[in-house]
Amino acid sequence: MIAGGDGRTGKTPRAAVAALRDLLAAKGKSTLLSSIGRAFVRHAEREMRKDEMTLVVAREKDERKAKRDAKAVLENLNMGSDGLKTQIDDTLIGGWRLEGRGVLVDMSYKKQLLDIYNRATS
Amino acid sequence: MDSSTVEKVIREIEQHSPRHEAIHVGRVSAVGDGVVAIDGLDKALMSEVIEFEGTDGKGLADSMADQGSLYGLVLNLEEDGVRAAVLGDTARIHEGMTVRSTGQVLAVPSGDELLGRVVSALGEPVDGKGPFKNPTMMAVERIASGVIDRKSVSVPLQTGVKAIDSMIPIGRGQRELIIGDRGTGKTTIAIDTIINQRNEPEDSRPICIYVAIGQKESKTARIVQQLREQGALEYSIIVDAPASAPAALQFLAPYAGVAIGEYFMDRGKDVLIVYDDLSKQAVAYREISLLLRRPPGREAYPGDIFYLHSRLLERACRLNEEKGGGSITALPIIETQEGDVSGYIPTNVISITDGQIFLIADLFNKGIRPAIDVGVSVSRVGSSAQTKAMKSVAGGIKLELAQFRELEAFMQFASDLDKETADRIESGRRMVEVLKQKNGAPIPVEKQVAILYAASAGFFGEVAVSGVTSVEKQFADFLDIGYAKVLDAVKASGQLGDDAKKKLDKAMEEFRLAHPEHFAPAK
Repeated sequence: MIAGGDGRTGKTPRAAVAALRDLLAAKGKSTLLSSIGRAFVRHAEREMRKDEMTLVVAREKDERKAKRDAKAVLENLNMGSDGLKTQIDDTLIGGWRLEGRGVLVDMSYKKQLLDIYNRATS
Repeated sequence: MDSSTVEKVIREIEQHSPRHEAIHVGRVSAVGDGVVAIDGLDKALMSEVIEFEGTDGKGLADSMADQGSLYGLVLNLEEDGVRAAVLGDTARIHEGMTVRSTGQVLAVPSGDELLGRVVSALGEPVDGKGPFKNPTMMAVERIASGVIDRKSVSVPLQTGVKAIDSMIPIGRGQRELIIGDRGTGKTTIAIDTIINQRNEPEDSRPICIYVAIGQKESKTARIVQQLREQGALEYSIIVDAPASAPAALQFLAPYAGVAIGEYFMDRGKDVLIVYDDLSKQAVAYREISLLLRRPPGREAYPGDIFYLHSRLLERACRLNEEKGGGSITALPIIETQEGDVSGYIPTNVISITDGQIFLIADLFNKGIRPAIDVGVSVSRVGSSAQTKAMKSVAGGIKLELAQFRELEAFMQFASDLDKETADRIESGRRMVEVLKQKNGAPIPVEKQVAILYAASAGFFGEVAVSGVTSVEKQFADFLDIGYAKVLDAVKASGQLGDDAKKKLDKAMEEFRLAHPEHFAPAK
């Protein structure tokens, strides 16, 4: 908790920001407030991304099957499938790609074809 | 695409079985100057290799056209992510790029097929002779052999340089520093040592590894050419991390070199490795450390700069018979500024190594080459590896030269000197001439013994100082023609017995009679 110059503590976000602003003003460093704000935004985005899980499919019609497969994979990994977002990326050609919470499962056709190509040409 | 590639593709398709494999990934949050900050990868290991996923959002054709995989090396584990050095082209990395963990520490290929090849700091061939077929992968970072696995240095490593083999002998498994200002002949000594190994019997000939760190490509190309012309490339490997390579590769090159050498050492072979030079490696490491935001210390080097060199040079050792009896002899090179050996990096490496060969610009400019300062140069363990033959002829040379250097200042008052001092100066001047040697022309040890025996017997005493070098060369050729058996016997036994001494005395007498023009009676 941030304590202001007058001893106020920031028990709510609004009070915390006010206490921080007062503290910086008291120390003559008010100009730092905007960069601290930006750092907070970056940190919050990063924290949100940590729990995000995205399923990328090549075509919209693949979504249902991909979700079913992805949920099975997540169960195997002891991860819940809550908040699973879906995106379309036609460069995958086919299949699906599941990414988030520090894990990647790539079952896209592009990945399979690249693996075959790399092994054959190396 | 040729038919064999098509067949390969068909085979790969038949064998392909996609699996639901979950890999640990992170995302690039910042990139610059060869260092990336990555969010995630919370299970990454220190020194783990990570792979940058360059295919995000790209079509198949573009992904196939990419110039191979791009890897990084984890160097900092932090609270929210990791920082890694990029082992390749940083321009291919962008913010948000997926980075995957490989679960492997960095390893380089090694094996007999690397002999005669030029490789990068990652062990990839850079000489256009194609990929390696069946290499053994060796971990770049490995703990040095322990005390129990080692034995003392006892076998000489002949450099072919008279001044070194006689006064600063090096043994197999030793670490001998070559230190001096730029342009004083440090690399020349190292390369001559590599070339001289062709005089060793094939079964005991050391494998030579030359690690070029931050050098000009033209210099490395010249060295490769020289080794090829002298027939030394066939038992040598060049690890090249040029000045144009990222700092991470310059920092890794010596470790890659020693990892390649350890393959041979583990199989009971002797290895000679030259690090040219560790000053540039330290600078590259400082650059990486500052970019990784590690706290700077003295001269802005990081706190573990000593460990950088000690853990590298400790890997040079001689293993005992149970471990195969192999060895790695290290010749690290350090460049000084204005002859200052008390700098941070020079003192560190001096304290780690088993001796140093100190080259000075003054001697070099006077034409005394190799420009070794005998007073400061020392070999702490090599004398126990010196052959008896060399010991018997080289015993007094260092003292004689040291006395000569002290008296040299009085040379300008030559007319006022007493006879003993004047004789000592004259003798010293001739010994200096005897120890001079052209670059790229190492001399086999048996011939060195014969020349130094002749010098200590006063053979050059009647030769004009300016003519000593040419008489020495003629005498060496004379021995080759008429006394090859004596030289062979000295080489085989490692001793200079009475019989050999008599024959060398006879050779000197014969040479004197055959070339009286070189010998003027002393005035």
